Amino acid sequence: MIAQEKKPIEEILGYLEGKKKVVVMGCGGCATFYHTGDTKAVNAMAETLTKEGKDVFKMPLPFSIQACDIEKSGVWLEKNRKELENRDAVLVLSCGDGVQVVTEYMDEKMEITKAVIPGNDALGLVGGGPKKFKETCQSCGMCELGKTAGICPLTSCGKGLMNGPCGGVREGDKCEIDEEKDCAWVKIYKRMEKLGEVEKFEQMLDPHEWSKMKRPRLFEIEEPIGMDVIGAMKGMMTVKFGPKPKLDE
Amino acid sequence: MGDEVYSDLMRELKTGKYVFTGELEPEKAGDVNEPIEMARELKGMVVACNVTDNPQSFAYVNSMAASYLIQKEAGMECVYQLRCSDRNRMALLSDVLGAGALGLKNVLALAGDHVSLGDTPDAKPVFDLDSTTLIKLIRTMVDEGKDLGGNEIHNPPKLHVGGAAAPGAAHLKAEVGKVKRKINVGVEYLQTQVVYYTDVLDKFFDELGKVDVPILVGIFPARTFGQADFFDKYVAGVDVPPDYLEAMKKTKEIKDKEKKKEEVDRVNIEFFTGFLEHLKGTPAAGCHMMAVGYPRIIPPLKKLME
Repeated sequence: MIAQEKKPIEEILGYLEGKKKVVVMGCGGCATFYHTGDTKAVNAMAETLTKEGKDVFKMPLPFSIQACDIEKSGVWLEKNRKELENRDAVLVLSCGDGVQVVTEYMDEKMEITKAVIPGNDALGLVGGGPKKFKETCQSCGMCELGKTAGICPLTSCGKGLMNGPCGGVREGDKCEIDEEKDCAWVKIYKRMEKLGEVEKFEQMLDPHEWSKMKRPRLFEIEEPIGMDVIGAMKGMMTVKFGPKPKLDE
Repeated sequence: MGDEVYSDLMRELKTGKYVFTGELEPEKAGDVNEPIEMARELKGMVVACNVTDNPQSFAYVNSMAASYLIQKEAGMECVYQLRCSDRNRMALLSDVLGAGALGLKNVLALAGDHVSLGDTPDAKPVFDLDSTTLIKLIRTMVDEGKDLGGNEIHNPPKLHVGGAAAPGAAHLKAEVGKVKRKINVGVEYLQTQVVYYTDVLDKFFDELGKVDVPILVGIFPARTFGQADFFDKYVAGVDVPPDYLEAMKKTKEIKDKEKKKEEVDRVNIEFFTGFLEHLKGTPAAGCHMMAVGYPRIIPPLKKLME
Protein backbone atom coordinates (compact mmCIF):
# COMPACT_ATOMS: atom_id res chain seq x y z
CA MET A 1 0.00 0.00 0.00
CA ILE A 2 0.98 3.61 -0.40
CA ALA A 3 1.29 5.17 3.04
CA GLN A 4 0.21 8.77 3.23
CA GLU A 5 -0.60 11.63 5.49
CA LYS A 6 -2.75 14.72 5.15
CA LYS A 7 -1.08 17.91 3.99
CA PRO A 8 -1.24 20.87 6.36
CA ILE A 9 -4.45 22.79 5.69
CA GLU A 10 -2.47 26.04 5.33
CA GLU A 11 -0.65 24.58 2.32
CA ILE A 12 -3.91 23.42 0.73
CA LEU A 13 -5.55 26.82 1.31
CA GLY A 14 -2.55 28.41 -0.37
CA TYR A 15 -3.11 26.33 -3.52
CA LEU A 16 -6.84 27.19 -3.39
CA GLU A 17 -6.30 30.93 -3.13
CA GLY A 18 -8.64 32.69 -5.55
CA LYS A 19 -10.52 29.48 -6.22
CA LYS A 20 -14.02 29.58 -4.79
CA LYS A 21 -15.79 26.49 -6.15
CA VAL A 22 -13.98 23.32 -5.20
CA VAL A 23 -14.54 19.58 -5.70
CA VAL A 24 -13.19 17.41 -2.89
CA MET A 25 -12.56 13.96 -4.32
CA GLY A 26 -11.71 10.95 -2.17
CA CYS A 27 -10.06 7.61 -2.84
CA GLY A 28 -11.34 4.18 -1.86
CA GLY A 29 -7.90 2.57 -1.95
CA CYS A 30 -4.85 3.25 0.19
CA ALA A 31 -6.17 6.69 1.19
CA THR A 32 -9.18 5.01 2.76
CA PHE A 33 -6.87 2.64 4.61
CA TYR A 34 -4.86 5.54 6.04
CA HIS A 35 -7.95 7.73 6.68
CA THR A 36 -6.58 10.40 4.38
CA GLY A 37 -9.17 10.04 1.61
CA ASP A 38 -12.07 8.00 2.95
CA THR A 39 -15.61 9.40 3.09
CA LYS A 40 -14.97 10.72 6.60
CA ALA A 41 -11.88 12.57 5.40
CA VAL A 42 -13.81 14.01 2.42
CA ASN A 43 -16.56 15.24 4.77
CA ALA A 44 -14.05 16.74 7.20
CA MET A 45 -12.17 18.53 4.42
CA ALA A 46 -15.45 19.81 2.96
CA GLU A 47 -16.43 21.19 6.35
CA THR A 48 -13.08 22.93 6.80
CA LEU A 49 -13.17 24.46 3.33
CA THR A 50 -16.79 25.58 3.76
CA LYS A 51 -15.75 27.41 6.93
CA GLU A 52 -13.04 29.06 4.88
CA GLY A 53 -15.73 30.38 2.53
CA LYS A 54 -15.42 27.80 -0.25
CA ASP A 55 -18.34 26.35 -2.15
CA VAL A 56 -17.65 22.63 -1.92
CA PHE A 57 -18.91 19.64 -3.90
CA LYS A 58 -18.06 16.31 -2.27
CA MET A 59 -17.04 13.35 -4.38
CA PRO A 60 -16.09 10.43 -2.14
CA LEU A 61 -15.16 7.15 -3.83
CA PRO A 62 -16.53 3.89 -2.37
CA PHE A 63 -14.20 1.41 -0.70
CA SER A 64 -12.01 -0.39 -3.30
CA ILE A 65 -12.56 2.26 -5.96
CA GLN A 66 -9.10 3.78 -6.18
CA ALA A 67 -8.48 7.21 -7.66
CA CYS A 68 -5.44 5.86 -9.53
CA ASP A 69 -7.45 3.09 -11.24
CA ILE A 70 -9.09 5.13 -13.97
CA GLU A 71 -11.27 2.32 -15.28
CA LYS A 72 -13.18 2.58 -12.01
CA SER A 73 -12.59 6.12 -10.74
CA GLY A 74 -13.34 7.40 -14.26
CA VAL A 75 -16.94 6.29 -13.72
CA TRP A 76 -17.27 8.82 -10.89
CA LEU A 77 -15.56 11.53 -12.89
CA GLU A 78 -17.90 10.99 -15.84
CA LYS A 79 -20.91 10.85 -13.52
CA ASN A 80 -19.97 14.26 -12.12
CA ARG A 81 -18.92 15.91 -15.39
CA LYS A 82 -21.19 18.93 -14.90
CA GLU A 83 -19.85 19.65 -11.43
CA LEU A 84 -16.28 19.31 -12.66
CA GLU A 85 -16.97 21.70 -15.54
CA ASN A 86 -18.36 24.35 -13.20
CA ARG A 87 -15.70 24.20 -10.51
CA ASP A 88 -12.44 26.14 -10.13
CA ALA A 89 -10.39 23.33 -8.65
CA VAL A 90 -10.41 19.64 -7.75
CA LEU A 91 -8.77 18.70 -4.45
CA VAL A 92 -7.89 14.99 -4.58
CA LEU A 93 -7.38 13.24 -1.26
CA SER A 94 -5.11 10.46 -2.54
CA CYS A 95 -1.45 9.80 -3.26
CA GLY A 96 0.24 11.62 -6.13
CA ASP A 97 -0.67 8.81 -8.51
CA GLY A 98 -4.37 9.37 -7.93
CA VAL A 99 -3.96 13.12 -8.35
CA GLN A 100 -2.15 12.79 -11.66
CA VAL A 101 -4.34 10.04 -13.09
CA VAL A 102 -7.37 12.26 -12.42
CA THR A 103 -5.59 15.29 -13.96
CA GLU A 104 -4.66 13.40 -17.12
CA TYR A 105 -8.10 11.83 -17.55
CA MET A 106 -9.88 15.14 -17.09
CA ASP A 107 -7.47 16.93 -19.47
CA GLU A 108 -7.31 14.34 -22.22
CA LYS A 109 -10.55 12.34 -22.09
CA MET A 110 -13.01 14.80 -20.63
CA GLU A 111 -11.36 17.94 -22.04
CA ILE A 112 -11.87 19.71 -18.74
CA THR A 113 -8.73 21.49 -17.60
CA LYS A 114 -8.88 22.52 -13.96
CA ALA A 115 -6.38 23.02 -11.17
CA VAL A 116 -6.02 19.58 -9.58
CA ILE A 117 -4.57 19.89 -6.09
CA PRO A 118 -3.01 17.23 -3.85
CA GLY A 119 -4.53 16.86 -0.39
CA ASN A 120 -2.02 14.31 0.86
CA ASP A 121 1.68 13.55 0.95
CA ALA A 122 2.51 10.00 -0.13
CA LEU A 123 5.11 8.34 2.08
CA GLY A 124 6.01 5.21 0.17
CA LEU A 125 5.15 1.64 -0.50
CA VAL A 126 4.66 -0.01 2.89
CA GLY A 127 3.60 -3.27 4.43
CA GLY A 128 2.68 -4.54 7.87
CA GLY A 129 -0.15 -3.23 9.98
CA PRO A 130 -2.61 -3.13 11.60
CA LYS A 131 -1.17 -0.01 13.23
CA LYS A 132 2.49 0.09 12.32
CA PHE A 133 3.73 0.01 8.75
CA LYS A 134 7.19 -0.19 7.29
CA GLU A 135 8.72 0.65 3.94
CA THR A 136 10.65 -2.41 2.80
CA CYS A 137 10.49 -2.23 -1.00
CA GLN A 138 11.05 0.71 -3.33
CA SER A 139 9.90 -1.04 -6.51
CA CYS A 140 13.34 -0.57 -8.04
CA GLY A 141 12.67 -3.01 -10.86
CA MET A 142 15.60 -5.33 -10.04
CA CYS A 143 14.91 -7.24 -6.84
CA GLU A 144 18.05 -8.02 -4.83
CA LEU A 145 16.36 -9.99 -2.01
CA GLY A 146 17.78 -13.30 -3.28
CA LYS A 147 21.29 -12.06 -2.45
CA THR A 148 20.62 -10.43 0.89
CA ALA A 149 18.85 -13.00 3.04
CA GLY A 150 15.46 -11.56 2.13
CA ILE A 151 16.05 -8.04 3.47
CA CYS A 152 16.35 -5.20 0.96
CA PRO A 153 19.41 -3.08 1.79
CA LEU A 154 18.49 -0.48 -0.82
CA THR A 155 15.36 0.32 1.16
CA SER A 156 16.01 -0.82 4.71
CA CYS A 157 19.58 0.53 5.02
CA GLY A 158 19.44 4.25 5.69
CA LYS A 159 22.10 4.80 3.04
CA GLY A 160 20.81 2.13 0.68
CA LEU A 161 24.22 0.43 0.60
CA MET A 162 24.62 -2.78 -1.39
CA ASN A 163 27.62 -3.61 0.79
CA GLY A 164 27.18 -2.68 4.44
CA PRO A 165 27.09 -2.08 7.29
CA CYS A 166 28.59 1.40 7.26
CA GLY A 167 30.90 2.40 10.08
CA GLY A 168 28.14 4.16 11.94
CA VAL A 169 26.17 1.28 13.48
CA ARG A 170 24.95 2.43 16.88
CA GLU A 171 24.55 0.65 20.20
CA GLY A 172 21.83 -1.98 19.97
CA ASP A 173 22.58 -2.44 16.24
CA LYS A 174 20.71 0.74 15.37
CA CYS A 175 21.10 2.91 12.29
CA GLU A 176 23.57 5.82 12.10
CA ILE A 177 20.84 8.11 10.88
CA ASP A 178 18.00 7.18 13.19
CA GLU A 179 18.38 5.41 16.51
CA GLU A 180 14.80 4.17 16.25
CA LYS A 181 15.63 2.06 13.23
CA ASP A 182 17.54 -1.21 13.07
CA CYS A 183 20.68 -1.50 10.96
CA ALA A 184 19.56 -3.48 7.92
CA TRP A 185 23.02 -4.91 7.35
CA VAL A 186 23.29 -6.29 10.89
CA LYS A 187 19.86 -7.87 10.32
CA ILE A 188 21.15 -9.36 7.07
CA TYR A 189 24.22 -10.70 8.91
CA LYS A 190 22.07 -12.27 11.62
CA ARG A 191 19.71 -13.90 9.09
CA MET A 192 22.64 -15.23 7.07
CA GLU A 193 24.04 -16.68 10.31
CA LYS A 194 20.72 -18.42 11.05
CA LEU A 195 20.49 -19.66 7.47
CA GLY A 196 23.99 -21.11 7.76
CA GLU A 197 25.31 -18.98 4.92
CA VAL A 198 27.31 -16.31 6.72
CA GLU A 199 30.27 -16.91 4.38
CA LYS A 200 28.22 -15.10 1.74
CA PHE A 201 28.52 -11.94 3.82
CA GLU A 202 32.17 -11.53 2.85
CA GLN A 203 31.41 -11.52 -0.86
CA MET A 204 30.97 -8.18 -2.57
CA LEU A 205 27.59 -7.56 -4.16
CA ASP A 206 27.74 -5.73 -7.47
CA PRO A 207 26.40 -2.20 -7.66
CA HIS A 208 22.65 -2.14 -8.16
CA GLU A 209 21.36 -1.85 -11.74
CA TRP A 210 19.49 1.43 -11.62
CA SER A 211 18.90 1.23 -15.36
CA LYS A 212 15.74 -0.68 -14.48
CA MET A 213 14.40 2.46 -12.87
CA LYS A 214 14.28 4.83 -15.81
CA ARG A 215 11.53 7.23 -14.90
CA PRO A 216 8.74 7.46 -15.64
CA ARG A 217 8.33 3.71 -15.88
CA LEU A 218 5.53 2.51 -18.14
CA PHE A 219 3.89 -0.83 -17.67
CA GLU A 220 1.42 -2.87 -19.62
CA ILE A 221 -0.59 -6.02 -18.86
CA GLU A 222 -2.28 -8.23 -21.40
CA GLU A 223 -5.47 -8.92 -19.51
CA PRO A 224 -6.90 -6.00 -17.57
CA ILE A 225 -8.76 -6.97 -14.43
CA GLY A 226 -11.78 -5.09 -15.81
CA MET A 227 -15.04 -4.15 -14.19
CA ASP A 228 -16.04 -7.77 -13.55
CA VAL A 229 -14.30 -7.78 -10.21
CA ILE A 230 -16.23 -4.73 -9.13
CA GLY A 231 -19.36 -6.32 -10.54
CA ALA A 232 -18.77 -9.36 -8.35
CA MET A 233 -18.45 -7.07 -5.37
CA LYS A 234 -21.66 -5.26 -6.14
CA GLY A 235 -23.61 -7.23 -3.59
CA MET A 236 -21.20 -6.05 -0.91
CA MET A 237 -21.46 -2.40 -1.80
CA THR A 238 -24.04 0.22 -2.47
CA VAL A 239 -22.24 1.44 -5.55
CA LYS A 240 -24.18 3.04 -8.33
CA PHE A 241 -22.26 2.78 -11.57
CA GLY A 242 -22.48 5.64 -14.00
CA PRO A 243 -21.39 6.09 -17.60
CA LYS A 244 -18.40 4.03 -18.75
CA PRO A 245 -15.16 6.01 -18.79
CA LYS A 246 -13.24 6.49 -22.02
CA LEU A 247 -10.25 4.17 -21.87
CA ASP A 248 -7.12 3.70 -23.96
CA GLU A 249 -7.10 0.56 -26.06
CA MET B 1 46.94 -6.93 -7.14
CA GLY B 2 49.62 -4.89 -8.83
CA ASP B 3 53.04 -4.64 -7.18
CA GLU B 4 53.75 -1.11 -8.35
CA VAL B 5 54.31 1.51 -5.71
CA TYR B 6 53.14 4.99 -6.56
CA SER B 7 53.20 6.79 -3.21
CA ASP B 8 55.50 7.37 -0.26
CA LEU B 9 52.76 6.10 2.03
CA MET B 10 52.58 2.77 0.21
CA ARG B 11 56.38 2.59 0.05
CA GLU B 12 56.62 2.91 3.83
CA LEU B 13 53.80 0.41 4.37
CA LYS B 14 55.48 -2.12 2.06
CA THR B 15 58.89 -1.75 3.69
CA GLY B 16 57.39 -2.50 7.07
CA LYS B 17 58.37 0.84 8.56
CA TYR B 18 56.04 1.97 11.34
CA VAL B 19 53.89 4.52 9.58
CA PHE B 20 52.45 7.80 10.84
CA THR B 21 49.82 9.74 8.93
CA GLY B 22 48.03 12.96 9.74
CA GLU B 23 44.80 14.65 8.85
CA LEU B 24 43.91 17.99 7.29
CA GLU B 25 40.45 19.43 7.06
CA PRO B 26 39.54 21.93 4.35
CA GLU B 27 36.79 24.22 5.58
CA LYS B 28 33.88 26.23 4.30
CA ALA B 29 36.11 28.82 2.70
CA GLY B 30 37.21 30.00 -0.68
CA ASP B 31 40.79 28.91 -0.05
CA VAL B 32 42.80 26.15 1.60
CA ASN B 33 45.39 28.39 3.21
CA GLU B 34 44.92 26.98 6.69
CA PRO B 35 45.33 23.30 5.78
CA ILE B 36 48.33 24.26 3.64
CA GLU B 37 49.85 26.00 6.65
CA MET B 38 49.11 22.95 8.82
CA ALA B 39 50.64 20.66 6.18
CA ARG B 40 53.84 22.72 6.27
CA GLU B 41 53.99 22.25 10.04
CA LEU B 42 53.35 18.52 9.72
CA LYS B 43 56.10 17.98 7.15
CA GLY B 44 58.62 15.47 8.36
CA MET B 45 56.31 14.31 11.16
CA VAL B 46 54.02 12.17 9.01
CA VAL B 47 54.47 10.49 5.63
CA ALA B 48 51.10 11.62 4.31
CA CYS B 49 47.96 13.42 5.37
CA ASN B 50 44.33 12.55 4.83
CA VAL B 51 42.38 15.41 3.31
CA THR B 52 38.79 15.09 4.45
CA ASP B 53 35.86 15.02 2.06
CA ASN B 54 32.87 16.82 3.60
CA PRO B 55 33.45 15.28 7.05
CA GLN B 56 30.29 14.47 9.02
CA SER B 57 28.48 15.69 5.89
CA PHE B 58 29.38 19.33 6.37
CA ALA B 59 30.01 20.75 2.90
CA TYR B 60 33.53 22.15 2.62
CA VAL B 61 36.18 22.77 -0.06
CA ASN B 62 36.35 19.85 -2.48
CA SER B 63 38.91 17.35 -1.17
CA MET B 64 40.50 16.74 -4.58
CA ALA B 65 41.15 20.44 -5.11
CA ALA B 66 42.43 20.75 -1.54
CA SER B 67 44.66 17.66 -1.87
CA TYR B 68 46.18 18.98 -5.08
CA LEU B 69 46.89 22.42 -3.61
CA ILE B 70 48.31 20.98 -0.38
CA GLN B 71 50.65 18.66 -2.31
CA LYS B 72 51.70 21.51 -4.62
CA GLU B 73 52.11 24.28 -2.04
CA ALA B 74 53.29 22.37 1.03
CA GLY B 75 54.87 19.33 -0.59
CA MET B 76 52.86 17.07 1.71
CA GLU B 77 51.68 13.81 0.16
CA CYS B 78 47.91 13.56 0.48
CA VAL B 79 45.44 10.77 1.01
CA TYR B 80 42.48 12.06 -0.91
CA GLN B 81 39.29 11.05 0.90
CA LEU B 82 36.42 10.25 -1.43
CA ARG B 83 32.87 9.65 -0.19
CA CYS B 84 30.06 7.84 -1.96
CA SER B 85 27.39 9.94 -0.26
CA ASP B 86 27.58 12.83 -2.71
CA ARG B 87 28.51 11.29 -6.07
CA ASN B 88 27.15 8.60 -8.34
CA ARG B 89 29.44 6.03 -9.98
CA MET B 90 30.08 8.25 -12.98
CA ALA B 91 31.15 11.19 -10.84
CA LEU B 92 33.31 8.92 -8.68
CA LEU B 93 35.02 7.54 -11.76
CA SER B 94 35.69 10.93 -13.25
CA ASP B 95 36.92 12.23 -9.89
CA VAL B 96 39.37 9.34 -9.60
CA LEU B 97 40.59 10.04 -13.14
CA GLY B 98 40.92 13.72 -12.18
CA ALA B 99 42.83 12.82 -9.03
CA GLY B 100 45.24 10.73 -11.08
CA ALA B 101 45.69 13.54 -13.58
CA LEU B 102 46.46 15.97 -10.74
CA GLY B 103 49.15 13.68 -9.37
CA LEU B 104 47.34 12.42 -6.29
CA LYS B 105 48.69 9.04 -5.24
CA ASN B 106 46.37 7.78 -2.50
CA VAL B 107 42.60 7.60 -2.22
CA LEU B 108 40.67 6.59 0.87
CA ALA B 109 37.36 5.13 -0.30
CA LEU B 110 34.56 5.92 2.12
CA ALA B 111 30.80 5.48 2.15
CA GLY B 112 30.51 8.74 4.09
CA ASP B 113 28.08 9.96 6.69
CA HIS B 114 24.49 10.39 5.66
CA VAL B 115 23.78 13.91 4.41
CA SER B 116 21.01 14.32 6.98
CA LEU B 117 23.65 14.45 9.74
CA GLY B 118 25.43 17.50 8.37
CA ASP B 119 24.79 21.12 7.49
CA THR B 120 22.90 20.43 4.25
CA PRO B 121 20.31 17.94 5.52
CA ASP B 122 17.84 18.42 2.66
CA ALA B 123 20.37 17.23 0.05
CA LYS B 124 19.55 14.05 -1.86
CA PRO B 125 21.89 11.33 -0.58
CA VAL B 126 23.54 9.43 -3.43
CA PHE B 127 25.27 6.22 -2.24
CA ASP B 128 25.15 4.77 -5.76
CA LEU B 129 28.28 2.83 -4.84
CA ASP B 130 29.45 1.90 -1.36
CA SER B 131 32.97 1.83 0.03
CA THR B 132 33.54 -1.77 -1.17
CA THR B 133 32.35 -1.21 -4.72
CA LEU B 134 34.31 2.06 -4.86
CA ILE B 135 37.46 0.16 -3.86
CA LYS B 136 36.65 -2.39 -6.57
CA LEU B 137 36.12 0.40 -9.11
CA ILE B 138 39.46 2.04 -8.28
CA ARG B 139 41.38 -1.25 -8.38
CA THR B 140 39.80 -2.09 -11.72
CA MET B 141 40.71 1.35 -13.07
CA VAL B 142 44.31 1.21 -11.86
CA ASP B 143 45.11 -2.47 -12.45
CA GLU B 144 43.07 -3.28 -15.53
CA GLY B 145 42.65 0.16 -17.05
CA LYS B 146 38.89 -0.34 -17.19
CA ASP B 147 35.78 1.03 -15.58
CA LEU B 148 32.95 -1.01 -14.07
CA GLY B 149 31.33 -1.36 -17.49
CA GLY B 150 34.55 -2.78 -18.97
CA ASN B 151 35.25 0.39 -20.96
CA GLU B 152 38.95 1.03 -21.61
CA ILE B 153 40.74 3.87 -19.83
CA HIS B 154 43.57 5.45 -21.74
CA ASN B 155 46.65 5.92 -19.53
CA PRO B 156 45.00 4.65 -16.31
CA PRO B 157 45.52 6.56 -13.05
CA LYS B 158 48.36 5.47 -10.80
CA LEU B 159 47.18 5.56 -7.25
CA HIS B 160 46.56 3.39 -4.21
CA VAL B 161 43.26 2.77 -2.51
CA GLY B 162 42.68 2.45 1.20
CA GLY B 163 39.53 1.61 3.09
CA ALA B 164 38.11 2.26 6.52
CA ALA B 165 37.32 -0.06 9.41
CA ALA B 166 35.38 0.68 12.58
CA PRO B 167 36.72 -1.31 15.55
CA GLY B 168 34.13 0.25 17.83
CA ALA B 169 31.17 -0.77 15.66
CA ALA B 170 28.22 -2.00 17.69
CA HIS B 171 28.12 -5.31 15.80
CA LEU B 172 31.75 -6.32 15.42
CA LYS B 173 31.15 -9.54 13.45
CA ALA B 174 29.19 -7.73 10.74
CA GLU B 175 31.83 -4.98 10.65
CA VAL B 176 34.64 -7.51 10.28
CA GLY B 177 32.68 -9.34 7.58
CA LYS B 178 32.51 -6.08 5.66
CA VAL B 179 36.23 -5.39 6.22
CA LYS B 180 37.04 -8.84 4.83
CA ARG B 181 34.87 -8.02 1.83
CA LYS B 182 37.03 -4.95 1.23
CA ILE B 183 40.14 -7.08 1.50
CA ASN B 184 38.64 -9.57 -0.97
CA VAL B 185 38.21 -6.85 -3.58
CA GLY B 186 41.76 -5.57 -3.19
CA VAL B 187 41.92 -2.78 -0.66
CA GLU B 188 45.62 -1.97 -0.22
CA TYR B 189 45.56 -0.76 3.36
CA LEU B 190 43.03 -0.10 6.08
CA GLN B 191 42.66 2.91 8.31
CA THR B 192 40.51 2.57 11.39
CA GLN B 193 38.03 4.96 12.84
CA VAL B 194 39.27 6.62 16.02
CA VAL B 195 39.79 4.23 18.92
CA TYR B 196 40.33 5.23 22.56
CA TYR B 197 39.97 1.87 24.28
CA THR B 198 42.67 -0.80 24.00
CA ASP B 199 40.18 -3.62 24.57
CA VAL B 200 38.06 -2.39 21.65
CA LEU B 201 41.15 -2.55 19.47
CA ASP B 202 42.15 -6.01 20.73
CA LYS B 203 38.69 -7.44 20.09
CA PHE B 204 38.78 -6.03 16.57
CA PHE B 205 42.18 -7.56 15.77
CA ASP B 206 41.10 -10.88 17.32
CA GLU B 207 37.90 -11.01 15.30
CA LEU B 208 39.69 -10.02 12.09
CA GLY B 209 42.47 -12.59 12.49
CA LYS B 210 45.61 -12.48 10.38
CA VAL B 211 45.26 -10.48 7.21
CA ASP B 212 47.80 -9.42 4.59
CA VAL B 213 46.66 -5.82 4.46
CA PRO B 214 48.46 -3.22 6.62
CA ILE B 215 46.24 -1.49 9.17
CA LEU B 216 46.68 2.05 10.47
CA VAL B 217 44.95 2.65 13.78
CA GLY B 218 43.19 5.98 14.12
CA ILE B 219 43.73 8.06 17.23
CA PHE B 220 42.32 11.46 18.00
CA PRO B 221 44.26 13.63 20.42
CA ALA B 222 41.82 16.50 20.83
CA ARG B 223 43.04 20.09 20.80
CA THR B 224 40.02 21.29 22.74
CA PHE B 225 37.33 19.83 24.98
CA GLY B 226 34.79 20.75 22.28
CA GLN B 227 36.49 18.48 19.71
CA ALA B 228 36.53 15.51 22.10
CA ASP B 229 32.96 16.16 23.17
CA PHE B 230 31.80 16.34 19.52
CA PHE B 231 33.37 12.96 18.78
CA ASP B 232 31.78 11.42 21.84
CA LYS B 233 28.33 12.80 21.13
CA TYR B 234 28.05 12.76 17.38
CA VAL B 235 30.48 10.31 15.80
CA ALA B 236 28.86 6.89 15.70
CA GLY B 237 31.05 3.99 16.72
CA VAL B 238 33.38 6.19 18.82
CA ASP B 239 33.23 6.32 22.60
CA VAL B 240 35.52 8.81 24.28
CA PRO B 241 36.55 7.71 27.79
CA PRO B 242 34.84 9.78 30.51
CA ASP B 243 38.14 10.36 32.41
CA TYR B 244 39.77 11.83 29.32
CA LEU B 245 36.71 13.96 28.62
CA GLU B 246 36.69 15.20 32.21
CA ALA B 247 40.38 16.09 32.11
CA MET B 248 39.87 17.93 28.83
CA LYS B 249 36.86 19.75 30.26
CA LYS B 250 38.96 21.04 33.16
CA THR B 251 41.40 22.67 30.73
CA LYS B 252 38.60 25.03 29.71
CA GLU B 253 38.92 26.76 33.08
CA ILE B 254 42.55 27.77 32.50
CA LYS B 255 42.62 31.40 31.41
CA ASP B 256 46.27 31.73 30.43
CA LYS B 257 46.53 30.56 26.81
CA GLU B 258 50.02 29.09 27.07
CA LYS B 259 49.24 27.27 30.31
CA LYS B 260 46.05 25.92 28.76
CA LYS B 261 48.00 24.58 25.79
CA GLU B 262 50.52 22.95 28.13
CA GLU B 263 47.73 21.31 30.12
CA VAL B 264 45.91 20.06 27.00
CA ASP B 265 49.19 18.55 25.78
CA ARG B 266 49.82 17.00 29.18
CA VAL B 267 46.32 15.42 29.27
CA ASN B 268 46.80 13.98 25.79
CA ILE B 269 50.29 12.67 26.44
CA GLU B 270 49.19 11.12 29.72
CA PHE B 271 46.18 9.42 28.13
CA PHE B 272 47.92 8.24 24.98
CA THR B 273 51.07 6.96 26.73
CA GLY B 274 49.24 3.83 27.80
CA PHE B 275 47.29 3.51 24.57
CA LEU B 276 50.32 3.84 22.30
CA GLU B 277 52.37 1.50 24.48
CA HIS B 278 49.60 -1.05 23.96
CA LEU B 279 49.44 -0.31 20.24
CA LYS B 280 53.07 -1.43 19.85
CA GLY B 281 51.99 -4.95 20.75
CA THR B 282 49.18 -5.13 18.18
CA PRO B 283 49.39 -6.07 14.48
CA ALA B 284 48.92 -2.38 13.54
CA ALA B 285 51.26 -1.17 10.80
CA GLY B 286 51.08 2.39 12.00
CA CYS B 287 49.04 5.13 13.48
CA HIS B 288 46.75 7.62 11.80
CA MET B 289 46.91 10.72 13.97
CA MET B 290 43.71 12.58 13.38
CA ALA B 291 45.00 15.62 15.26
CA VAL B 292 43.27 18.24 13.12
CA GLY B 293 44.79 21.67 13.71
CA TYR B 294 47.02 20.23 16.45
CA PRO B 295 50.39 19.41 14.87
CA ARG B 296 52.43 20.17 17.98
CA ILE B 297 51.12 17.02 19.69
CA ILE B 298 52.49 14.68 17.05
CA PRO B 299 56.23 14.72 17.91
CA PRO B 300 55.72 13.88 21.60
CA LEU B 301 53.24 11.12 20.69
CA LYS B 302 55.59 9.70 18.08
CA LYS B 303 58.33 9.69 20.69
CA LEU B 304 56.16 7.42 22.84
CA MET B 305 56.22 4.86 20.03
CA GLU B 306 60.01 4.72 19.77
